[in-house]
Amino acid sequence: MDIQLKRGLLDVCVLAAIKNEDSYGYKIIKDLQPCLALSESTLYTILKRLEAANMLTVRTVEHGGRLRKYYHITAAGLSRIEEFKAEWQEMLDIYQFVTKEDASHD
Amino acid sequence: MTKIQFLLALGERLSGLPKEEMEERLRFYSEMIEDRMEEGLSEEEAVAAVGSVEEIGAQLGADTPSPKTAKEPKSSKRKMPTWAIVLLIVGSPLWLSLLIAAFAVALSLYAALWSVILALWAVFGALVVSGFSVTLGGIGVFCMGKEIAGLAMIGAGLVLAGLSIFFFFGCKAATKGAAWLTKIWARD
Repeated sequence: MDIQLKRGLLDVCVLAAIKNEDSYGYKIIKDLQPCLALSESTLYTILKRLEAANMLTVRTVEHGGRLRKYYHITAAGLSRIEEFKAEWQEMLDIYQFVTKEDASHD
Repeated sequence: MTKIQFLLALGERLSGLPKEEMEERLRFYSEMIEDRMEEGLSEEEAVAAVGSVEEIGAQLGADTPSPKTAKEPKSSKRKMPTWAIVLLIVGSPLWLSLLIAAFAVALSLYAALWSVILALWAVFGALVVSGFSVTLGGIGVFCMGKEIAGLAMIGAGLVLAGLSIFFFFGCKAATKGAAWLTKIWARD
């Protein structure tokens, strides 16, 4: 898959994982498991990228005598998800057009 | 491999990164391992599930487009050795509570010092008040005709008043001493 496209998809997946409630690293990985296998390193890079783009904020919470980081989606993050949905419709239209061309040639 | 071994090895692998970034990454992996252990995995299994140090390092190389951070080892800038950073991360909530405890101890010592001073001044106050009242009472008793008892009371009252004068200088010196100690502590 095109790396830029994949990157965008991963960003939206992580945003979707924290959309309804704040979440932490391991929970995000577990929640995304049925849809895609995300490695820790990949998640770290995505989270840093989303934080830099102000699509999420981070807070540190004490949990069982240690620290855990929780990620909270911002308004910009939510609108990124909406953007993705709109883009995807365009993508589907393109896909249909491309596959129709294939069919007429056969 | 234990968590500390893993973090040490990863820290060495990431030693080219600035200290803050390396610390943040190590914290991230530390949290991941602990969350897995909390779910019931053993330490070994949790470390293995996070991936190998080599894999993470290789991925890091692919993720950071600026070759600046990867190529220039900023070890000269980073004075804290890797093991110290790892220890700091592993014990992080503990450090905070230890720090708070140390602060509380210092504060209570300070409060104790000033309460001793306060007690000294209270004794001084008591001496002044009792000196006056016993002397006045003695005069009253004397006038009522009990000369010997009256004289004894006046004498005792004057002794108390005299003691209070001595005590005043003692209290003053103690207060000065406490103020001096406060200054020294504040400077540290």
